[in-house]
Amino acid sequence: MLEIDGIAAAYGNIEALRGVDLLVEEGGITCLLGPNGAGKTTLMMTIAGILKPRRGTISFLDRNITGMTPSGVVRRGIALVPENRLVFPDMNVHENLVAGAYLRLGKRKSQVQQDIDHVFERFPRLQERSKQMAGTLSGGEQQMLAVARALMARPKLLMMDEPSLGLAPLVVEEIFRIISDLNADGTTIFLVEQNAHMALQVADHFFLLEQGQVTFSGKPGQLSEHEVIQRAYLGKGPQRNQPAADQGRPDRTTLPSG
Amino acid sequence: MVDFIQNCLDGIMLGSSYALLAIGFTLIFGVMRRLNLSYGPSIMVGAFVGTLVYLEFKANAVAIAAATVVGAVIVGIYVERLCFRAIRRGAAVASMVSSFVIWMQLEEIVTVVFPDRTYFFPPMVTADPIDLGPFFFKVENIVMFAVAAVMTVLLHWLLQYTRFGLALRAVSENPRAALFMGINVGAVMFLAFVIASAFGGVAAYLIVSADGQITPLFGLWATFKGLIAMMLGGMGSIPGAILGGLLLGVVEAQSIWYLGTEYRDLSAYFLLFLFLVFRPGGLMGQLAVERELAATRRV
Amino acid sequence: MDDIYLITILSNIGMISFIALSAYLLLVVGEISFGQQAFFAVSAYGSGIATAMWGWPIWLGLLWGALVAGAAALVVAIPTVRLRGLYFSVATLAFAEMVRLIFEIFTYQVEIDGELVGPDGSDGFRDIRAIYDSNVSAFEYMLIIYGLLAVVLIGFLILERSRLGAIFRMIGEDPMLTEMQGLNVTKYKILAVVMAGIVAGIGGALYAHLATYVEPKIFNVMLGVHALAYGLIGGLGTAFGPLIGVAIDIGLLESIRAISGYRMIVFGGLVAVLLIVRPRGLLDEAAMHWLRGRWRGLIRAEN
Ligand SMILES: Nc1ncnc2c1ncn2[C@@H]1O[C@H](COP(=O)(O)OP(=O)(O)OP(=O)(O)O)[C@@H](O)[C@H]1O
Ligand SMILES: [Mg+2]
Repeated sequence: MLEIDGIAAAYGNIEALRGVDLLVEEGGITCLLGPNGAGKTTLMMTIAGILKPRRGTISFLDRNITGMTPSGVVRRGIALVPENRLVFPDMNVHENLVAGAYLRLGKRKSQVQQDIDHVFERFPRLQERSKQMAGTLSGGEQQMLAVARALMARPKLLMMDEPSLGLAPLVVEEIFRIISDLNADGTTIFLVEQNAHMALQVADHFFLLEQGQVTFSGKPGQLSEHEVIQRAYLGKGPQRNQPAADQGRPDRTTLPSG
Repeated sequence: MVDFIQNCLDGIMLGSSYALLAIGFTLIFGVMRRLNLSYGPSIMVGAFVGTLVYLEFKANAVAIAAATVVGAVIVGIYVERLCFRAIRRGAAVASMVSSFVIWMQLEEIVTVVFPDRTYFFPPMVTADPIDLGPFFFKVENIVMFAVAAVMTVLLHWLLQYTRFGLALRAVSENPRAALFMGINVGAVMFLAFVIASAFGGVAAYLIVSADGQITPLFGLWATFKGLIAMMLGGMGSIPGAILGGLLLGVVEAQSIWYLGTEYRDLSAYFLLFLFLVFRPGGLMGQLAVERELAATRRV
Repeated sequence: MDDIYLITILSNIGMISFIALSAYLLLVVGEISFGQQAFFAVSAYGSGIATAMWGWPIWLGLLWGALVAGAAALVVAIPTVRLRGLYFSVATLAFAEMVRLIFEIFTYQVEIDGELVGPDGSDGFRDIRAIYDSNVSAFEYMLIIYGLLAVVLIGFLILERSRLGAIFRMIGEDPMLTEMQGLNVTKYKILAVVMAGIVAGIGGALYAHLATYVEPKIFNVMLGVHALAYGLIGGLGTAFGPLIGVAIDIGLLESIRAISGYRMIVFGGLVAVLLIVRPRGLLDEAAMHWLRGRWRGLIRAEN
C-alpha cells in the first residue's frame, strides 16, 4: 500500500535518513522500532509531506506522492497521529474533531457530523468531554483525541508516532486495544513505537530503523524480543559503526520569539 | 462623578480604535508568533493613500476610507512577503528587525512623496456633538465605536463559525498540528495578515479622520498603541485585545483629565509595566501564560 | 572643514556603538530589549548634571553617568528578569518610555554665573560645556570615545572567551538547560542587564558632553530599536557585529551623498534582503567559526 524507496532526508547537514526502504501492506499493522534519534519521526514527517526528501520515492496505492504538500497527502488518505499528540489546547474536543475533517468541511458538512458521532461511539470518554478544552484533558484522553482527530480525515492509512509515550501501563493497553480494533475495522496502521513489547504483540510485520537506515525487516518472532529490545532501545545493532546517535535536537538557531 | 463617567465614555470611544489596532496585532502575532513592528507604518501608508485620493480627486468619505484600507492591505502584503514569509521559521528576531527596517523605509517613502509631512485629512462627518443628560458625545466618536463594534462581531463570526476561522485558530494554536490536518498554513498566515491589515486600515481611517490630519509619525503611534493594548489585554487573545484597547483608552482619558496631557502616555506605560511585572498575562491571557510556564516546568 | 565632518561622523559611530553593544549583550543572553535608550538617557542626564551643575571633572562625570545607568538597569532587572520573550521586550519598552516621559517633566535647575543651568522638562538640558571649558578639541574627544570603546570591546572579547561568556550564550540558547546545570539563570540575567546598562551609560555620558545639549525626545524607542537592529545586521556571532552594523548605517550610507534623502529606502531594502539570506547577520556564529578556522590555519601556515 505504502512503498518507500531509498528515502534520504536531512536537517541542514545532519543526515537523518540515509536511504530507507520500507513497505506497508494493506490491511495490516506495520511497526517501526528504533532507538531515540534513529529518524522515525523524520520518516513520518517525510511521508506526511512536511519534509522534502533529498532522494528516493514514496508511493501510496501505486501513485507517486513524493514531495506532495501535506494537504495533498491527507487527501490521498494518509493521516498522522503526531508524536506528543499535538491537540489544539484552546479548542474543545468537538472543535478538535472538526479540525481533523478540515479538508471535507467545504462540501460535506453533514457527513462530518456523522463521522463525529461514529468517533464518539468508539471513544465514549471523548463524548462526555465534548465541550471540554483539549488542553485540560489527561494525557491518555489527549492521545485518544489525537487518534480520533486523525480518524476524522477518513484515512486509508493511519500513521501513529509513539502513541504510548508518557502514558501509564493501563492506558497504554487501552491505546493498543484501540489500535487493534481500528485495524480489525479495516484501517491499515503504520505504527512507530518505543514500547517493543506491546508493539510486537499487535504487529503483523515490523522494521528496525537505526541511524537512518532499516537494519531489519520481518515478522514478530523472527527476532527474539530480547534482541529487538536491545536494538530498539539502545541501538545495539550488528551493523553499527558509529557512536550512538545524538539524542539532542539542536535547534540552536532561534532566539526566544519576539 | 459626572466628569469621571464622561471620561470613561470618552475613553471607551477612543479605546475602541485602540482595540481595532490591538486586534490586528493579535491576529498577526497569534499565527506568526512574531512581532510586526511595521504594522503601524503600513496602515499609516494606507492613510496617506487615502489622503492622495482626497487631494487628487476630492473623493467622498467612503472612497477615502476604501483607499485607506486597500493601501494598508497592499503594504501589509509587502511586509508579509518580505519580512515574514521569506525569513525561515525560527528566526523570529530577524523578522522583527526586518519589519523595523521596512518601517524606516516606508516612512521615508512617504516623506519623499509627501514632503510637507502634515496633511489635512477630511473628517468623516461634520455634525455637532450630541447631548445626553449631563454627558455629551462627539458624532465621530460614536461612529468609531459603532464601526469597531460591528467589526468585532464580524471577526467573532469569522473565527468561530467559518472554516477559515477554524483553520486560523488551529494555526495559531499549533501550526505543525494544523499542517497534519491538511490546512495550508502559509495561506492562512497570509490571509491573517490581510485581515489584520484591513482592520488596521479601518482603525487608521477612523482615527485619522477624527484627528483631521495625518503625519508619518502616525505609524509609530499606531504600532505602540496596538502593542500596548494587546499586552494589557493578554497576548494572543482577541477578547483580551478588545478589553486592553478599552482599558488603555479609559486610562488615557482619565489621566488627561485629572493629571494633565503630559501624563497621558506616562500613566499608560506605568500601567503596562505594572501589568507585565505582576500579571504578564494581562486581563485575559493569564491562563495561557500559566500553561506555558507549566509546560516548561514539565520538560 | 571636511575633517570636522569626518570627526563628527566617527564620533557618532563611536557613541552609538556603545548602545548597540549594550543591546547585543542582551541578545546574547536571549533577550530582546527595546529599552536600552533609557540607560543612555539616564547617564546623559546624570553625567551632565554632575559636570555642569555640580562642577565635577569630566572623567568623574562619565563614571557617575555609567554608574547611575547601571543602577537604573538593576532597578529594571529585578522585577522584569523572570519575564521572557515579548514580555521582557515590552517591559523594557515601557520602562524606557517612562524614563523619557519623566524627563519631559523633570526640572532641576540651579543658577550658575547668573544663568539657570539644568534639565528643564521638554526644553531639555542645555550648556553641558565641560569639554569646551577644559579645551578638549573635537579630535581629542574622538580619541577619548574610541579609547573607551576599545576598553569595552576588549572587555567583550575577554567575556566571550570566559566562563561567564559561555554561560551567557548557554542561557541565550536554552535557559532551562542552563538552570538544570545548577546555574542560577536569574542571577546571571540580572548581571547581563546591569552590564548592558553600564555600557549604554558610557555612550550616553559621552553623547551628552559632545552634544552639550540633550532633550528627552532624542531618547525615544527609535534609538533603542536601531541599537537592536545594528547587532542583527552586523551579526550575532561576535561583538564586532554591532559595530559593523553601526558603521554601515551611519558611516557608509550617511556619507554616500547620492542617496541622501533616500537612505532608508535603500538601507531598509538591503537589510531586509540580508536578513532573508542571513537571519543572524553578516558575522553570525557560523561565519565566525569559519573565520576562526581560517585564522588558525593562517597562523599554522606561518609557523
Ligand atoms: N528540527 C530538527 N533540526 C535538526 N535536527 C533534527 C531535527 N529534528 C530531528 N533532528 C535530528 O534528526 C535525527 C532523527 O530525529 P527523529 O526525531 O526523526 O528521531 P526519532 O527516531 O523519532 O527519535 P525519538 O525516538 O526520540 O522520537 C536526530 O539525530 C535528531 O537530532
Ligand atoms: Mg520521534
